[in-house]
Amino acid sequence: MAEKIGIYIDKATLGPYMDLDQLVEKIKNRWGDATPIIKVFDLVASEEAKKDIKKDLDSGAIDGVSIVGPSPREDTEYFDFGPKVLVDRVNLREQGVMAFKNPDGSPLKPGEEPPQLFWDMVMDYINMSVIKLQKSVPAEGEPLETEKTILVLGGGWTGIHAAQAVADAGYNAILVEKEQELGGYAAKMYKSFPINPPYTSAEDPKIEEKIQALKNNKKIKIYTGTQLEKLIGQPGQYTALLKTKKGEEEVKVGSVVVATGWKPIEPKYLEPLGYGTLKNVVTNVEFEDMAKKGEIKRPSDGNVAKNVLFVLSATNLYEDIAKQEEEERKKKLEEAEAADSEKSEEVDIEETFEPIETYRHLDYTSEVTSLTALKQAGYVREFVPDSVAYIIYEHMVTPGVYELYYKSAQNDPGIMLTKGKVTSLYAGNNDNVIVRIEDNLLGEIVEIEADLVVVPTGFVPTTALEPVINLEYRQGPAFPDLDLFDGYADSNYICFPYETRRTGIYAAGPVRQPMTLARSVSDAYGAALKAIQCIESVNRGVAVHPRSGDLSFPKFNFVRCTQCKRCTEECPFGALDDDEKGTPKPNVARCRRCGTCMGACPERVISFDNYSVGQVGSMITSIKVPDNMDKEGPRIVILACENDAYPALDMAAKRGHRWSPYVRIIPVRCLGSVNTIWIADAMSKGNDGCLLLGCKYGEDYQCHFVKGSELCNRRMINIGETLDRLGVELERVRQEQVAIDDYDRIPEIIDSFVEDIIKLGPNPFKGY
Amino acid sequence: MTMVSRVKPDIDFIKEIQQIGGENLKKCYQCATCSVVCPLSPMDKSFPRKEMIWAQWGLKDKLVNDIDMWLCHKCGQCSEMCPRGAKPGELMAALRNMAYRSLVGPSFLGRWMSSIKHLPKLIAIPAIIYLIIWFITGSIHGTPFPLENGKIDYSLLFPGDYTIDPIFGLATLFIIYSFYKGIMKLKQVFDSQPKTFVVGYERPKTIWHALYDVIKDEVLTHKKFKDCGEEESDEAKFKGHLMLFYGFLALFIVTGVVAFTHWGGKVLPFLHMKYPMPIYNPIKLLANVGAILLVVGLVYLTKRRLNDTGKDASSYYDWYLLGLIWVIALSGILSEILRWASIAGLAYPVYYIHLISVFMLIAYLPWSKLGHLVYRVFALAYARMIGRVSTEVDEQKNKLFVI
Repeated sequence: MAEKIGIYIDKATLGPYMDLDQLVEKIKNRWGDATPIIKVFDLVASEEAKKDIKKDLDSGAIDGVSIVGPSPREDTEYFDFGPKVLVDRVNLREQGVMAFKNPDGSPLKPGEEPPQLFWDMVMDYINMSVIKLQKSVPAEGEPLETEKTILVLGGGWTGIHAAQAVADAGYNAILVEKEQELGGYAAKMYKSFPINPPYTSAEDPKIEEKIQALKNNKKIKIYTGTQLEKLIGQPGQYTALLKTKKGEEEVKVGSVVVATGWKPIEPKYLEPLGYGTLKNVVTNVEFEDMAKKGEIKRPSDGNVAKNVLFVLSATNLYEDIAKQEEEERKKKLEEAEAADSEKSEEVDIEETFEPIETYRHLDYTSEVTSLTALKQAGYVREFVPDSVAYIIYEHMVTPGVYELYYKSAQNDPGIMLTKGKVTSLYAGNNDNVIVRIEDNLLGEIVEIEADLVVVPTGFVPTTALEPVINLEYRQGPAFPDLDLFDGYADSNYICFPYETRRTGIYAAGPVRQPMTLARSVSDAYGAALKAIQCIESVNRGVAVHPRSGDLSFPKFNFVRCTQCKRCTEECPFGALDDDEKGTPKPNVARCRRCGTCMGACPERVISFDNYSVGQVGSMITSIKVPDNMDKEGPRIVILACENDAYPALDMAAKRGHRWSPYVRIIPVRCLGSVNTIWIADAMSKGNDGCLLLGCKYGEDYQCHFVKGSELCNRRMINIGETLDRLGVELERVRQEQVAIDDYDRIPEIIDSFVEDIIKLGPNPFKGY
Repeated sequence: MTMVSRVKPDIDFIKEIQQIGGENLKKCYQCATCSVVCPLSPMDKSFPRKEMIWAQWGLKDKLVNDIDMWLCHKCGQCSEMCPRGAKPGELMAALRNMAYRSLVGPSFLGRWMSSIKHLPKLIAIPAIIYLIIWFITGSIHGTPFPLENGKIDYSLLFPGDYTIDPIFGLATLFIIYSFYKGIMKLKQVFDSQPKTFVVGYERPKTIWHALYDVIKDEVLTHKKFKDCGEEESDEAKFKGHLMLFYGFLALFIVTGVVAFTHWGGKVLPFLHMKYPMPIYNPIKLLANVGAILLVVGLVYLTKRRLNDTGKDASSYYDWYLLGLIWVIALSGILSEILRWASIAGLAYPVYYIHLISVFMLIAYLPWSKLGHLVYRVFALAYARMIGRVSTEVDEQKNKLFVI
């Protein structure tokens, strides 16, 4: 708790627009002894200022620092006084002078006395900073003893590389493989797509050499024929229960790399392509087997296949399946909703695992199936000199260097490629398969008589079929599913590959996304480094991604806990277990410090040392709300997610955008941490509106904590009742989704909300 | 009921086209840049995109029956703009070369014309014939370089009535017959191809009308060459080809007049002219102008082929024809000069070479690149009949719709 706060004002920021002596006087009058030092620096982000502040701290005159000037995202190197000193930044540059505009739209004029509105804004922000510091204590962290061994699940191509990477970095690896032999699917291949430059021909991945290297490495312990029965505990301190050939065994591990790969899609999904009904239709996995054995034979008569057609496009043939699956999904969703509304008060933690089957796994695999067709067409040409291989594609997906491979395959006179739609496959003479192709590049509907047709395989991630990681977590044994990725280990693969929603467990290879051997290698390295980083964070008591290095963690005041289980249910990372009564049991190393639990708790028993319900609530209530809205304008509280929305506001200001002077912006860790009491606080104090700026949710979600903004949105539905009780209109609270690049939209979002509020009239609570 | 065709690629055919100029065709990825930049391609089923995939797939039937190969004038823009270096222009040329080779028999002639290794045989045929004649007439005169009143007279060694006209006449009949067969075959394959219905296009009444239009609008003006582009190399091609064309036309008229007055003179004596003609005779003047046009045109075209290798690569077919015309023009002019200069020891051998080269031009015409003289003109006329025209054909009526 900071009791003596030093306030350091940046003249470069505020000097041209206001009388700083007057400002210092005002602060003194407002805070008195609470702010014993108030200084103005020409440039606060400077070595001189830093030295000066340090002196004040060392002398014991102050125990908290408030910097009034640039955005907290800027010049951070000047304001770090160690973990024991509380520092707050008052953003009066970007979100103050740069963003301020008068109600008539004009900006501040340098050298002129600023309007009262600006004075109010400056004082509100400074007051909030003082309160924030007063209601914070320096976070201390909770370092744990950690086991520096990493469990690699899956001994295929990705797992082998991950284990090697772990060992190369000086850590121990335990490699667990279900099958009797290491190597996985890569060992069953005849050749792989090119892995090395010039990326023009298929090559032997030489997996045997890599396996041998692992076997010779003392840092790697290999378990084959072994399954992970249970994973108990938290990052840094996991206990893995292994079921080996000899019996059960317990091993201690710090973190986990999941590289359990994929299984071919159920044959029923290949039926529209004639698989199962036509004798000479095989999958590309079966075809690879034949090639590995050295001969490409027709199943019907064992003759060598000379005209082989590869199908990569048959969306139209899947219409029925797609429709059916869509209907089933809708029905399920409706049922779930109905069930939800029936027992809305009762918190139900989902923990059962349901396997996912869908034809869409085929679509997701398009890069791999495209490359496989090119590769296997090459086999056809290699095995029989006068053979012909056709590839009928809708999308030839050969990203990056694989364009070179595509080009080289294309150059073979015996490989025929066309974009087209396979609309039917039927038997011809001698069990040949006749394939009809429409919408192709040849200019007319054509039919091709093939000796053999090869159909693609969908990569069904192992995580779609079974829990795989078998966690002993309250939220269930598997990775939680967002109903977005059809069972691929969710990793928000654009921004944060390898991350999963189970801290300390990192996904690599096709289990998270269908991919080639080359990409699986970089995945394996990435996930291995993540796993190491996790161990080395837990042992220092700091958070991992995305609040890497954060020392704070949620603290529970169990005396007031009503065991409603909301926190346990809503934690996006399954950090909380509970006892039979429902009392939450925190696991600090699983926690990502988003504060979703804090936002969820109706009793407000959860808080961080430097971030709490009471703290933000006091900040909100400190905002000076004028009694007469028509004369002095409304007041609107903006709670802005500090991951995307807050930086987007800074960016907007830097690009010359300005917005309404009636808003007060308060950064929050995540919209998930927004407790509805804050909104009630704001409204009961007479604020006229509350705008929540957070990340996108749902499909293409961008929430750094995956579920935060979505949960906030759900809570907003419930807040209706509270507002109703208060007699406040629902329209006064709005949540908007903004991405970091939405800076050009932000002023419009704010201004139109302010306009709507002005139209709505003053908050009925004003003046009470 | 929609038409469905069963396709069966012919890999040998792909390799064959690759050998005669289409070696890069497999690189095509069907982006259609070629058809977009082509100034001549019709809007429907435009070339050369579709020819590229047919060739990649070895669809021989479609390619050999394709009228569009004749609509292309090989400006090379497609090859230049192709993002993959697949050189569609070369494929179109290769297809034409393939047509020269195999449209009409005898097949050995087509084969001999397709590669430099057979060139000696093609030279040997006229060389042996005229060497024998030279030997006989030389023996009669008692010298291989006889003089008439101290002057060189080529008809001493190679009397027109007995050694030139009958041989060239026979050769001409042979090629007329071959062209007739070729055109009939083209007509048959063009007839067999599906047509599109073009709205807003006024069809010529008969093929003869179409032919007339083609000659008037395209052949005499070389309009298509103009449409092909305005770069320096396009200009060179336009000028060179135009001069060569009119040079040949002049020489054709000269030959016609000579043949007519000579043989006609045997029946109607007043037609008879005395040879060699004096230099001021308009026919002789025309012949010399033709020769000069020939040489200047050749210089343009040869320079372009040597410099412009990026846009338009040259195949053996191109160099054979260009080389042959060079030999004809130079040996013809030299024959005249050497005759004036009375250098018998050189004049007669040069004239001998001239005879051989002219024989090679005429007798092998349908199998050489010069066959386009007939096949392209016919194809252009046929295209007008079926409305397969680029929108620029008629500036006033260019609102065409294809169904």
